Amino acid sequence: MRLAGKRAFVTGGRQGIGRGIVEVFLTEGAEVITCGRGPAPSDLDAGWMSLDVSDPTAVAACAQGLGPLDIVVNNAGVQVEKTVVESSDDDWDLIMGVNAKGVFNVCRALIPQMRAGGSIINIGSISGKVADPSMALYNASKAFVHGLTRSIAVDHGPAVRCNAICPGWIETGMLDAGFDLAQDPEKAKRDALARHAVKRFGKPGDIAAMALWLASDESSFATGQLFTVDGGMTAASPLNPGLF
Amino acid sequence: MMLNGKIALVTGARGGIGRAIVARFLKEGATVYAADLTPEGSLDQHDDDGSQFVKLDVTQEADAIAAMDHVRAEHGQLDILVNAAGIEIEKTVEETTLEEWNQSFAVNSTGTFLTSKYAIPLMREAAKSGNSASLINFGSYDGFIADPGLAAYCATKGAVHALTRAMACDHGPEGIRVNAICPGYIDTPMLQSFFNGDGSGAGGGNIETLQRAVRDVHPMRTYGTPTDIANLVNWLASDEARYASGQLWVLDGGLSAQVQQMKL
Repeated sequence: MRLAGKRAFVTGGRQGIGRGIVEVFLTEGAEVITCGRGPAPSDLDAGWMSLDVSDPTAVAACAQGLGPLDIVVNNAGVQVEKTVVESSDDDWDLIMGVNAKGVFNVCRALIPQMRAGGSIINIGSISGKVADPSMALYNASKAFVHGLTRSIAVDHGPAVRCNAICPGWIETGMLDAGFDLAQDPEKAKRDALARHAVKRFGKPGDIAAMALWLASDESSFATGQLFTVDGGMTAASPLNPGLF
Repeated sequence: MMLNGKIALVTGARGGIGRAIVARFLKEGATVYAADLTPEGSLDQHDDDGSQFVKLDVTQEADAIAAMDHVRAEHGQLDILVNAAGIEIEKTVEETTLEEWNQSFAVNSTGTFLTSKYAIPLMREAAKSGNSASLINFGSYDGFIADPGLAAYCATKGAVHALTRAMACDHGPEGIRVNAICPGYIDTPMLQSFFNGDGSGAGGGNIETLQRAVRDVHPMRTYGTPTDIANLVNWLASDEARYASGQLWVLDGGLSAQVQQMKL
């Protein structure tokens, strides 16, 4: 039980990567509270708060009820598949509100009540380092997360550590939405698989495994870093491997 | 004339990229020593372009010493060194022989070290003019992310990147700027060899189809020309770049800015 005695707050735990992190943390003995927009899912054993992380007042109120924490995971995120020219003001407010301001809101509210030795884990993205096409605001919002991660590590060490995980392509609803952009989604999926050194897409559990290590005391010297978990995709040139 | 009165030496100067650099340097008013194994280099022929050919095998310490002695005797200083000599073995680690591995490092990494080692005293002299000297290495975007079947090449370029930062750190206080250019796909004999060679796995496929496909993966929808590289080398060599040092300058038509192309 690598997280026995620790209290964790995970944003966006209803599904996908967040759900995977909540389940692993529970298995490893942590007390876990998660949140999302809307009511609690019926099949979740963790504590639940109905919360939109983009709302600073709601986040502050939520912090009052959370009590002391050892682990905070900023996982809640949204994506809109558009270029800069296609994006509306509402798209900006949604993406930057949740992905960027949401991480700021949660960190600002919760850092003061984190216990010494605490660990903040932000979900960044490989898209914050290299661009996915037609994901302009999403890519930019994740680069914000990477920058904020370093700032928090620098400003709030040694009391708190802060790292980001940069997932590659993980099998979630968001990945399917990305493939729906392709002219031939099945062909695009085969091609994408060929680019992965491990020849498969990631699963939420792959990211949860990294989150578990960063949440545990085994990572007590790790802070301010971006940890890419992408099956080797961004280690390779973006040239189509089928060409050579 | 951005390089008026400057003395420059370019290694690999008779290769695809090297020739474009030499031509640009001459146009900008520099005196240019074109160093290579032969006057023809990796191309079939060479027309006199106004540069002075220097025979230089970058893997041989005696050649490096002799080349710099020659420059010292004629000018007493060197303003610009471009380490453009390079080779590419198109194999995986498992396929690469120790000899091929050592040769890759001898040319790409040790060659950069040796030429720089004997050029630095002359560049220190040039910096006494008050304008910094500029040492430009050739890294590669392959030093950051891998192309398949180029293991030793990728590794040698990673070494050049680290050496670039180390030299910038050590010799900046002496007025020597050190940068690396990291080209992506540039239309050179080396690239055409890659398209045709065993490493391409083209398997009898149509070379033009392959070339078009490679172009289309680039956000700029083309691969680069030696002139594109020479444009940046020229800027880094000039006094306009007087504050630029210790950096790795990727020039790849946006290739490595993207995760990959989804809309196939």
